[in-house]
Order: sequence, then structure tokens, then C-alpha cells
Amino acid sequence: MPRLPVVGLLGRGLTQIKNLGFGLLFLWPSIILFSLFVFYPLIKSVYLGFYESDPLGNQGDFVGLDQYRSVLGGSDFRHSLWVTFQFTVYTVVPGIVLGLGLAMLANQKLPGISIFRTIFASTVATSVAVASMMWLTLLNPTTGLVTWLLDQAGQPRLNLLNDPDWALPAVSLTTIWLNLGLATIVFLAGLQSIPERLYESARIDGASRLGTFLHVTLPMLSPTLLFVTVIGMILAFESFGQIHILTRGGPLDATTVIVYSIYLEAFQRFDYGVAAVQAVGLFVLVLGLTGLQLRFLERRVFYQ
Amino acid sequence: MSRVVFDRITKHFGEVVAVDDLSLEIHDQEFLVLLGPSGCGKSTALRIVAGLEDPTRGTVIIGDRVVNNIEAKNRDIAMVFQDYALYPHMSVYDNMAFSMRMRHVHRQERHRRVLEAAHTLGLETLLKRKPAELSGGQRQRVALGRAIVRQPCVFLMDEPLSNLDAKLRVQTRRELIKLHRRLQTTFIYVTHDQVEAMTMGERIAILKDGTLHQVDRPQDVYDRPANVFVASFIGSPPMNFFQAELQGEGDHLVARSDGVEAHLSAAQSQALAKLSTPKVTFGVRPEHIVVGDAAAGPDQCMLNTIVDTVESLGAEQQVTFSVGDNTIQARLDPSPALREGEQVLLMFASHRLHFFDPETGLRIEDK
Repeated sequence: MPRLPVVGLLGRGLTQIKNLGFGLLFLWPSIILFSLFVFYPLIKSVYLGFYESDPLGNQGDFVGLDQYRSVLGGSDFRHSLWVTFQFTVYTVVPGIVLGLGLAMLANQKLPGISIFRTIFASTVATSVAVASMMWLTLLNPTTGLVTWLLDQAGQPRLNLLNDPDWALPAVSLTTIWLNLGLATIVFLAGLQSIPERLYESARIDGASRLGTFLHVTLPMLSPTLLFVTVIGMILAFESFGQIHILTRGGPLDATTVIVYSIYLEAFQRFDYGVAAVQAVGLFVLVLGLTGLQLRFLERRVFYQ
Repeated sequence: MSRVVFDRITKHFGEVVAVDDLSLEIHDQEFLVLLGPSGCGKSTALRIVAGLEDPTRGTVIIGDRVVNNIEAKNRDIAMVFQDYALYPHMSVYDNMAFSMRMRHVHRQERHRRVLEAAHTLGLETLLKRKPAELSGGQRQRVALGRAIVRQPCVFLMDEPLSNLDAKLRVQTRRELIKLHRRLQTTFIYVTHDQVEAMTMGERIAILKDGTLHQVDRPQDVYDRPANVFVASFIGSPPMNFFQAELQGEGDHLVARSDGVEAHLSAAQSQALAKLSTPKVTFGVRPEHIVVGDAAAGPDQCMLNTIVDTVESLGAEQQVTFSVGDNTIQARLDPSPALREGEQVLLMFASHRLHFFDPETGLRIEDK
């Protein structure tokens, strides 16, 4: 991680102030953008969390930390937290395994391999809406491919998206598929940056295929693995489109992740206060997780 | 027994012939240098021994085994790569121990061998470092150490010194010679650097365009190059060549070229008399040319030249002369210092000449 130099304004004289001026000159476009779309909403959310909302969505009475306490401590939030956690595990872990597997296949030196690379990477160019509609069709309980496969296997038909036990795995499947292209591209780039000489060296050193994978490929990929994990978690935490199209958070809130819960509170029930509290909760959660990842995973990562 | 034999090895990469019908035997415990310009197939030949490339045709033998179908890891060889190929995520210790770990060598034995190699190479204080924290010379030592702990029958080295600075290269050259003496193992060493080849090799094999041009002891390669290519490749600055017509004069031959007349000895005349046409290419090394004086004997070849460029190296001056359309390079005493544009009479003894067939480029023996 690059560490930002802390600009020491005290007792450093004119040069430092001049440098700061120059820095700000370069930074003002992003400062304006971030202020408008990140800092202001963030502060406003924290602020809104202190107020109740009336049924019409207007700002109501000041309740201080009470709303934070009741929402963040409540069972609804705990449920959506649990759903989010499951959703993250269901999407990130298989996403990494499949992405790495596809990238290793695509990394073979074969004629026409670029066709496969393109196919493997193609989900990057697919929008959430298109992917969701596609999977909605595939999972359709009467005409979908999954139903047909279940019929062929002699299994009872399943209405995956309407089954509280299966809805979250089904949405996760869509998400894995959707994010797979990105993971594959990133892993492929990581694999290609490993020098061929290391593999030759390992061959002479007597490493088996598995040994080479464990002792050369994986450690050399560790920065990529960290990156894909972090990106995968962020994508999982901010997933909205596929849930909105496939299940609308149902059935029985089985797919109501925190982001969807925020949406429901804010734009279905117009309870901006509760939504704001949840948003702040999500923010703190992601902040904490990122901090933990950087602190603990970073140590195990080898950078060249 | 760890001799290595190339038996009619050919290697194609698509249309490109990297190694062309190479036959060569490297003796047990020999230090053999594969020398040639870049793209001559020397690295490919080495990689074929390592098992990293399969030959298109031909057999490779290590010891008494044909190894064509034997995996790289089972060939009992160790290789030092040009860029060292150290595992960047492992410490020096782990880099050296890795091959033994993969072979399930007992932990204590592993530890002993790593420490022993580290001691030999002066790496004891660096064992915990990662390759990125080492200098080029230290990395090179780790690469050597990684090879040594394997206790292989054959060491393969692919230009291991080319990433070092000049001073370190000289030092490491000597250490490699000592290492070879101590380990008493076969070394095959690939380089394009003739100084490395001359100083380290017990024999040098010279390759060009995938074909073997000569295998000999360094001094023999220098004194009796097998053809025009070897003669021009070995030696710096390279040998000067002249295209000459042969004419009889009494019972001796005279080789006449642009501004040069070489009176040949009886043995030389006899050897050249066998040529089908009265034409010959002769060469003389830059250090065999001296500034002439009028009192020279009849066996001296004289030529009038104009000084083109002078490079003074302190111990000597390397001077380029022009003779008609030809240029000649000579290594001369620093005094008298020559000036550009000056007219100089040069001479060289005719027994210093090397003769080559102008058609085939092959050496004509005159001894």
C-alpha cells in the first residue's frame, strides 16, 4: 500500500505551503467530485441517522443515538448482515476458485487460445440487468434450462428464486457468473507476469505440478489474490441490480442484503432515518473489513 | 561418470533451425564452454541437456543413460540461469533448500548442505534475506548455491555472468574456476563472451547458426582456428584478412594482395600448392603486426598504410590503418605514438599467417 505523505504545515516554512498549493491545484477536480458525491452524502447520512422520519419521508424529531442503537441492534439489521455475510462467502470463494481455474486454462499456449480468453472475459462486458434477465430465464421454473436439467436427472422441479433456501444461492450463482470475467482477466494478467524461468527452475528442482502450483504460482499470485478478494467483497457488499431483478430481496427476506435493505427502507418505506443508519453501519463495516484485510492479508502477500 | 554426449542433435522451432546436427562429447569433469554469437543455438543446446527442450532429432546422453525421455528433474543436472530465476518470495535459505524439499531430503541433511554451500559462497549472513534485498553479485551466488546443494553430476550455466559489472565478472570467473576444481563435476557453460570462454574453458565449442565450427582447447582455437568464422570471432580486435593471388617465384609461392606481398615458406608453399585455384585468403592477428623498419628480413611482409584511427589504452595502442580499400587493425606498443593521417610502414612475419580456402573458408594447415 502506498502511504500518503502527511503534509506537515508547522514550522516548515514557505516551500511546504507552496507545495501544498501546488498539490491542491492538481487535486481540485477530484476534491470537488468527492465532496459532491462522497463526503457530503456521507456526512448527510450520519446526520440523518440522528432524526426520525415521518411516514411521508420528511425529517422528523431529533432522537440522537437512539435510532442508531435500535436499528443496528435490531433483528432486521442482524438478519441482513447475516445474509450479506453468506452472500459474500458464496460469491467470493467460488469466484476466486473458478476465476483462477479459468485463467490457468486460458494461460495455456495453444492455437486459438485468444478466442477462449475472450469468451472467459466476456462477462465483464455484460451489464447487471442483462445478466440477471438471462439467469431469470435460465432459472425459470417451467421453461428454464435448470428445470430441464433437473427433469433429465429425474429430480423434482425447484423454483429456485422463490424458495427461501435456494434463492440466495441462485442469486449468488448469477453474481459469480457476472464477476467471473473480471476475476479471470485479473488472474490471467497475474499469471502472465510470472516469469517462465521460475517454472523451468522449479521443473529442474524437481517440483511436481502441484508443488509448482503451491510453491511458485500461488505465492507469486498473492498480490492478485488479495486484489481479487478485496474487489470481490466490495462487489458483494454493493450488489443491488441482480437482487432487485431476480428476487426483490425475497422470499421472506432471504436475499435482503444490507444494500437492498437500505433501498427498501429509503425508497419503499421512505424511512430515510433508518436507511441512513444502515448506510452508516455498512460504511463502518466495510471500513473495518478493509482495515483488517490490509493489516492481516497484506503481511502474507509478497510484492516483487 | 558424468560425460554428456550430443549425438546428431537437431532442433527446429517451426521453420527456424536452432541446432543443426550437433555432435559433441563433453568429458567427465570437464569445463566445456559453448561459445557463439547470439542466436547461434548455444542456449538451446544447453536447454536440451537440461530437459527444458526436446530435440527434434538425435540423442542426448548423460553418463551412460540416454536421457531423451527422462524428465528434467531426473537428469541429475543443475542449471544456473542468466537472470538467476531465484524464487522472489523465498528467502535465500529457502531458495537453496527448495530442490531438496521437493525431493524429500531429510531436514537435517538439507540444513547441513545449505549451510555448507552458504559457507563456500560466503552467503552465511544473507540466508534470511529475500532476493530483492541482494545485490546482483549476491543473487548470482545464491543461484550457484542453489545448484551446488543439489550435488548434481552436471552443472549447466547459461550466461551466468552477463548481468554482473565488469569487475565482479572477473572475480566471479576465477571463483567459478576454483569451484569447478573443488567440485570435480562436469560444467557446461554457455556464453557469447570470448574472454570468459578463453579463461574458463578447458575446451571451447564454437557454434554459429546452429552448427558446430570447432571444439578445441582455448589456445588451440586461438592459434589454429578451423575456419574464417572462428578466426574472426576469437580475438579482439579480430584477425585481419586479405584476399590474395598466388604466384610462383622460384620454388616458393608469393601471395599478392592489395598492397601486400607475402613471401611464403617452403612448407606453406607446399600446402597451398594443393589448392585448385591460385587464390587464397590469409589472415594475421592484430598483435603480430609491428611498425616496420628498412632492415627487415625477407620473410617479413611489408605494407604501406595510412593511420585511420588511434585508440590509446595505456599499455598499448589499437590502431586502424587503411590500405587501399581495406582496413587493418593492429595492437602496437604505445610508443612511438601514432597520429591520424600519418604514413606508416607496417610489417608482419609470414610464419604468423593463417591460410584459408577462399571457397569453403576452411583452414589450410601449413605445418
